[in-house]
Amino acid sequence: MQNILATILQPNPSQAAPVDNASVWHQMSDALHQSLFRILSQLIAILPGILALVIALAVFTLLGMALSALLRRGLTLLKFDDRLARSRSNNDWTPSTSPTALIGRTSFWACVLLGLVVGVSAFDASFATGATLPISLLPYLTHVTGAVFLLIAGTFLARFLARSVLIGAVNTQIQYARFLSLGVKWLVLVLAGAMALDHLQIGGIVVELTFGILFGGIVLTLALAVGLGSRDLVSRSLEGHAEHSSERSGQPSTTPTAGPEDSIRHF
Amino acid sequence: MATTDPISEIVTPSAPASVGLLVMLASMPAEQVESVLTKLSAAFPAEDLLIAAPDESCADSFPSLRIVAAPASTPSSTLTAANFVHAYQLAQTHEARAILVLGPESWSLESIALHSLGSAVLTTPIDLAVSRYALRPRVSLVTSAILYPLTRTLFASRVRFPLAIDLGLSPRMAERLASAAQRFVAADQGEAPLWPVNEATVSGFAIGQFDVGPLVQPHPSAPDLNTMFPLVTGSLFSDIDAKAAFWQRPRQLPPAREPVPIELAPSSDSAAEIAPMINAFHLAYSNLYEIWSLVLPPNSLLGLKRLSALDAAAFRMPNSLWARIVYDFVLAYRLRTINRGHLLGALIPLYLAWVASHINITASGADPEGHIESVAAAFEAEKSYLVSRWRWPDRFNP
Repeated sequence: MQNILATILQPNPSQAAPVDNASVWHQMSDALHQSLFRILSQLIAILPGILALVIALAVFTLLGMALSALLRRGLTLLKFDDRLARSRSNNDWTPSTSPTALIGRTSFWACVLLGLVVGVSAFDASFATGATLPISLLPYLTHVTGAVFLLIAGTFLARFLARSVLIGAVNTQIQYARFLSLGVKWLVLVLAGAMALDHLQIGGIVVELTFGILFGGIVLTLALAVGLGSRDLVSRSLEGHAEHSSERSGQPSTTPTAGPEDSIRHF
Repeated sequence: MATTDPISEIVTPSAPASVGLLVMLASMPAEQVESVLTKLSAAFPAEDLLIAAPDESCADSFPSLRIVAAPASTPSSTLTAANFVHAYQLAQTHEARAILVLGPESWSLESIALHSLGSAVLTTPIDLAVSRYALRPRVSLVTSAILYPLTRTLFASRVRFPLAIDLGLSPRMAERLASAAQRFVAADQGEAPLWPVNEATVSGFAIGQFDVGPLVQPHPSAPDLNTMFPLVTGSLFSDIDAKAAFWQRPRQLPPAREPVPIELAPSSDSAAEIAPMINAFHLAYSNLYEIWSLVLPPNSLLGLKRLSALDAAAFRMPNSLWARIVYDFVLAYRLRTINRGHLLGALIPLYLAWVASHINITASGADPEGHIESVAAAFEAEKSYLVSRWRWPDRFNP
C-alpha cells in the first residue's frame, strides 16, 4: 500500500504537478459520484415498493375501520347479539367478547392483514425487479408475520387451556391443580415457540432437539405427577362408575321410596 | 292437595274435566307407565285423554285409552327444548285443548295431583300449572340456592321449583314455549333446558302452583355436578340476559303462601357431610382467587377471605354475600368477562360453600325452607345492586 501511494505521489518529471492532483481528485470524485448514484438508484428502485407497502397498509386499515364500524352498527341495529343468544344455549367454548364486537374486530384485522399481504407482495415484486440490493432480512418479512401470529395464537391457547385445566382440576378436587395448569400452559407455549422458530428457519436442528427435550420433559413430569398423585381420584371415579352401573342394573320400582334418608342432591 | 298459588284463581278439585287433554309421558319402564295410566284413568274420563308415550306396548292393558307414539327423549332431570316442541306439535296434530307434561318419575305422584295439574289448564284461565313438590330438605339444592331466588327476584314469581318436570300447559303457553324452544332445536341444541315460568311471566300469562306431594327425584342425565351445574345455571343466566328489559322494572311479588309440611328425616352427621365441600372451597380459594378477582368486587373477595378462615363448625355464608356473588356472576356472564364455561366452573366451589353453610344452619335447628326464603329475601334486597351494575358496569364498585 505504501508502495502504491509512493508511486502515486512520486513526482513525474514529464507531467506538471497541478494536472496530476486534478486527475486524482477527479477520479475520486467520479468514484464517489458513481457509488452515490448506484446507491440512490437502488434506493429509488425500492422506494416505490416501500411506498406501495405503506399505502396498501394505510388504505386497507382505513377500509377495515370503515367496514368494522359499518358491521358493528348494522349488527347492533339488527340485535344480532340478542338473536344469537336466543338461538343458542350455553356452550363450553364461548368468546369473551360479544359476537358483534368479535365480528367487528375480526373484519378490521382481516383488512389489515390483507393490506399487509398486498403491500408485501407489491414490495416483493418491486424488490425483485429493483436490483441486487442484498438486504437479507427483507425476505423474512412474511415469515416474521407468520411467526408473530403463531406466538399470539399460542399464547391465547395456552391461557385458555391453562384456565380450563385449573378449573376442571379444582372442581375434581385435585390438590396439585395449579401445577397441572402451569404444566399445560408451558407445554403449549413451548410448542408455539418452537413452531415460530421453525417458521423463521432459525436454529434448525438445535430448536427441534431443544423442543423435543423440553416437551418430553414436561409430559414426563405431568405423567409422573398425575400417575403418582391421582390414585385417589381414579379410585373415586371407578367407585362412582361401579355405583352408577349397579343403579342402572337394578330393577325399577313402582312404589315411591325416598332413597337414602337425608342425602344431598344438587338437582 | 289441590291448592293454588294466590296469584291465580282457586281451583276446585271437583271441577269436571274437559275434553282434549294431551298427556306427554317421558321414557320410563313399562310397569311405571302402567302405574301412571292407572292414576290418569282415575283422574280423568278415559274418552277425554290422549296419551303420548314413547312406548306404545302398554296400549293392550288399557284398551279404553287412546295412546299414540311420542318421540323418545333422553332421560333428564329437566324438561328440554325438544320436549316442548314435540308437545306442541302433537297438540296441534290432535287439536288438544290442554297439555299435561309428565316427567320420568311422575309415577310417584298421586292421581289427585295429576288431576290438579290437568284440570287447572283445562277448566281455569291458568296457562301454566307448575308442580310444587314436597321434597326432603337436602334435595334440589341448586334450585334452592340459585334458581328459586333468581326467578323470584327477577320475574316476581313464587314458583318454588322453576325447573319442575310435571307441568300443565294451555295451548297458547305451549305455543309460546315451542316458539322459544324452536330456536334451540334449530341450532341442534334440543337438550337445552327451557324456563317456562320466565316465559309465562314475560308474556303476562297466568301461573298456578299446585302442591303435588312427594316425588322420587329423577337421576340427572349428566353424570355429575360439574357437568349439570354449568348447563342449568348457564341456561338461566342466558335467559336473564335475554329478558333484561323485563326484569329491570320493579314488580310486585305475590304474597307468600303456607309452606309445604315436609317430614324431616333424622339428621345425619353434618360435619362429615360438609367436610368435602369445605375442602373444595378451600382448594378453590387457594387456586381460583385470580379468576374470582376478575369477576367479584373487593368487598365480596374480603367476605370470601373471612369465610375461608372459619372452621367447619362455624362455617356460615352471609345471605347478602351469596346474593352479590350470584349477581356478579350473572353480570360477568353478560359481559363475558372471562370465557363462560370457565365462569360457571368457577362458581361451583362457591355454590358448594353455600351448601355447606346451608347444612350447618339447618343442622343447628333452623327451618330449611325458612333459610331458603331468607336467602331469596336477600336476593330481593340486593336487586338494586344488580340493576345498578347491569346498567353501569364500569362504575366504581368497592
